[in-house]
Amino acid sequence: MRWIIITSENAEEVFKRLEEEGIDPVLFGLTDKDFQLIAKNFAQIRNQLKITNDLLDKYKEYYEPEVKDEKDGEE
Amino acid sequence: MLGIRLFLIGILASAVVGAGVYVMKLRSDNAILKANAVKMEEAISDQQELITQQKQDFKEIMAANQKMNELVGNLKKDLEDLDKRFNKNNRDFGKLALEKTGAIERIINKGSVAAARCIEIASGAELTEEEINATKKSEINRECPSIANPNYVPY
Repeated sequence: MRWIIITSENAEEVFKRLEEEGIDPVLFGLTDKDFQLIAKNFAQIRNQLKITNDLLDKYKEYYEPEVKDEKDGEE
Repeated sequence: MLGIRLFLIGILASAVVGAGVYVMKLRSDNAILKANAVKMEEAISDQQELITQQKQDFKEIMAANQKMNELVGNLKKDLEDLDKRFNKNNRDFGKLALEKTGAIERIINKGSVAAARCIEIASGAELTEEEINATKKSEINRECPSIANPNYVPY
């Protein structure tokens, strides 16, 4: 994924560059505030993912200890 | 006279038989009590084993909980750091992007790659040697050092 910053000054140049690269000159935009919001939301989702994943690992460790033992044995 | 003797012998015989039956019953009761005692001891032993296991489980749960709280704290700090990067010293991110468009574009694209790597790590991906050994600010994943760089101590 690539972020492109468009300002009133570089807009023309950006669209021209897109056309040169064979990309449709269409961009889906965010304001600077929305960009901050999406970055923070993404970080929160990532944090929640990490917490849920760790929790799942702990439950697995508790309820399926033999799986871990078998793996250790193979190594 | 003979009648009285027979009567006494009858009573005596009944007493002997009664005593015999009573002893037999006592023996039977004793056997049942012994079996019950054995079962009780087994149950107590099982319960003690269970209590020991529960104590061990409790310790492990507390340790896991503490570790989880530490993780939540570190992740929260990562989020605060991200907020600081946008708004440190009343920084206006939009204005900055207007003034230094190319530089900010490079920074957010680099950050985007780092954030994508954070998602991989959060989903269970193994850390690379480089990530594990990172101790300097220039070496870390600035989006999520708490999970990507275990040996990094903020300075």
